[in-house]
Amino acid sequence: MASTDLRAEFLALSAALTGFSVFRLEGTGQTDAYLTTIGDIVGEATVDALVSVHRGLVDATGGDEAELQRGLRRELLSDAKLGPVARNLVKLWYVGTWYELPAAWRDTFGPSLRDRTFVVSPEAYTEGLLWPAVGANPAGAKPFGYGMWAKPPRIDTV
Amino acid sequence: MTEERNDRFEVSPEAASSIAYDVAVVGSGVSGALIAKELSGRGLRVLVIEAGPSHDLTVAEYETSLRRFYGAASKDNNAPYAANANAPMPRSTDTTKLRPGEPNADGYLVQLGPLELDSTYTRVLGGTSRHWEGKALRMLPDDFALRSRFGRAADWPLGYDDLEPYYRRAEFELGVAGEVEEQDFAGLRFAPDYVYPMHGMPRSHLDRVIADDLDGLEVARDGETFALSVRGTPQARNGVPNAAYDGGRGYRPVGAVSLHQAELGERCQGNTNCTPICPVQAKYDARRTLFQALGTGRVDLLTQAVASEVHVDPASGRVTAIDYQAYADPASAEHVTGTVRADVFVLAGNAVENARLMLASGLTGSSGLVGRNLMDHAYLLTWALMPEPVGALRGPLCTSGIEDLRTGAFRRQHAAFRFGIHNDGWGWATGSPYGDLEELVDRRNTFGPALRRALVQQISRQVLMAGMIEVLPDESNRVTVDPRYRDRLGNPRPVVSFGVPPYTLEAAAFARRLSRRLYQRLGAEDHTAYHPAEPGWVSYQGEGYVLRGGNHWAGTHVMGTSPRASVVDADQRSWDHPNLFLAGAGSMASIGTSNTTLTLAALCLRSADTIAKDLETAAAPVTATAGGAGA
Repeated sequence: MASTDLRAEFLALSAALTGFSVFRLEGTGQTDAYLTTIGDIVGEATVDALVSVHRGLVDATGGDEAELQRGLRRELLSDAKLGPVARNLVKLWYVGTWYELPAAWRDTFGPSLRDRTFVVSPEAYTEGLLWPAVGANPAGAKPFGYGMWAKPPRIDTV
Repeated sequence: MTEERNDRFEVSPEAASSIAYDVAVVGSGVSGALIAKELSGRGLRVLVIEAGPSHDLTVAEYETSLRRFYGAASKDNNAPYAANANAPMPRSTDTTKLRPGEPNADGYLVQLGPLELDSTYTRVLGGTSRHWEGKALRMLPDDFALRSRFGRAADWPLGYDDLEPYYRRAEFELGVAGEVEEQDFAGLRFAPDYVYPMHGMPRSHLDRVIADDLDGLEVARDGETFALSVRGTPQARNGVPNAAYDGGRGYRPVGAVSLHQAELGERCQGNTNCTPICPVQAKYDARRTLFQALGTGRVDLLTQAVASEVHVDPASGRVTAIDYQAYADPASAEHVTGTVRADVFVLAGNAVENARLMLASGLTGSSGLVGRNLMDHAYLLTWALMPEPVGALRGPLCTSGIEDLRTGAFRRQHAAFRFGIHNDGWGWATGSPYGDLEELVDRRNTFGPALRRALVQQISRQVLMAGMIEVLPDESNRVTVDPRYRDRLGNPRPVVSFGVPPYTLEAAAFARRLSRRLYQRLGAEDHTAYHPAEPGWVSYQGEGYVLRGGNHWAGTHVMGTSPRASVVDADQRSWDHPNLFLAGAGSMASIGTSNTTLTLAALCLRSADTIAKDLETAAAPVTATAGGAGA
């Protein structure tokens, strides 16, 4: 189990990147699995770097959402090392799949044996946030019930 | 790991070899299970031989398959089913672009081309019905008479009206949900007052939006005008039973297969995963029928036993025995070879496996047609974004289709087709929604709330219309065997040659043109694109298309009226081997524009009647299960 601080900061970063609240992310039950997965593959120092960039931006922007987004683009998503990892983190929350990092990343920052495309666990798939984001259920799980498909979709506005 | 046998139903290889069965059936899919159920119900002693393990007679085991699917990075048709080198299965992921003269032997099928086929099948208990979608369309009266109506292919040795009572029985066995009133097109005839066992699946919101704009659209073709309409698709999926069924006696749906009480499978919940696995077992698969057959106490199940050779008495032509290789551990090639003896033998693998076994046994047929006339539907996928979110990725994979171009005078010139309207978005064509997520995150640099909004716009508006195009029998499309290509147990693997003629391509071109018109009428953004680098790419009259397989393997032992021009007769009996029945879609003389399962089920119910008569069983005959009003 990660330290309470790291875990909280990981969730805060994840919320900023995914557009889902910390509460909703926690509801998937996948926080610890994802924190472990990402740490195992890219190393804890890189995870620390990710969350500290976000923490710094939050402190610096003081609640200005647009400035925070701008900072995430400038300092995280366009960073050669952190950018691909941050994008992988988004996909992890959305579909439960860790995507093998780009070849250039592997060449530059060193490959990890565990860095291949895989589904973290059966639950990681069914808890993916892509499905609720589009008002659907993950294929093969969490059905809405007989005949509900006849109604228009209910999609939360963000 | 050695698999444990379920002593209640399963027989050991030693015991199976020591018993003289009335009927031995190779394969536990729809064909084999129906024949086993019918014959055991009439007092006959039946052995069912299955190449795969006996998994999934309990809900717990079924859950293992479901979790395997959840955890698989590639969610293809065979993702839920454990790989087994002793009974290998084709996977769509094995299909690659062929280079001329170079076979693709990467997967179980050896593909020679020219068209790459991404069709698959499943060698597990219940066969490919485990991953079928469940569409249960009858063939049209015209489909049985292509030669006399359109000068194409050959007429079947039986007509629609001959098969109609068996369609009713098949709809009972498979538990079909549909509305007869919606099936009044192209001369499709039903018995008076007939209703399907269950009411049709409710139309999806997407279906309704599309019907609003498309219904009534007139399409002129070869002197005829067709008014299109969106119709509900009959499907073997549990819905609301129709109280009017069977003269008002109603219908009781069959739920999940389980050795223990299980409250599952009673009604579709909209899991959007008919293929490759329905998590709640609302979809019919052949385990249901097999389970009923085993319940008679007269069916033995021999699993993990790969039929390897059919032995024939040269003088009489009769099949004397079938050898099988029984393995204890799917992880090991170690096996013992046994022999099963019976009065009647039924090959119910599928079109590919039946042909493979016959050819591996040196039985090419006096017509030389065993393995030839391989058919499948050619799918032309088209996809678009509707103007507003329509709720893609919800409901059964398809609830409606456009059926009006399934027959007409144009069949003299080009193939017939239907459109299935897909509730599951672009997945089949593009790998959506994964590909959409990757595109938005990795290339369009979207994140946070903007990503969520973009996903809604990109995914919930998706519609895919799948043009399912008839492919006629052609002797050069075939399954062969080649001693150079063998599986781990030493059995020859199927070698597949497949291509489509201008007759099919003309229909593809027409379907594409029509889809453009449909999307124009809907105000939908047409995103359909075909690339030459994709498997299945074909060029026709200056335009490129990608054709995908339909998993509707058919035609390798076509039925007919003469031993010179067919492999089996109208009862699926081998012309050469009077106690051998080649059962399933392989017997179909042509496939029209219907998914093959309902028709092969009807054919097998008919064959079961013939086999029962052949054997003149001494046991008191049990009346065949009624298939509804007027049956």
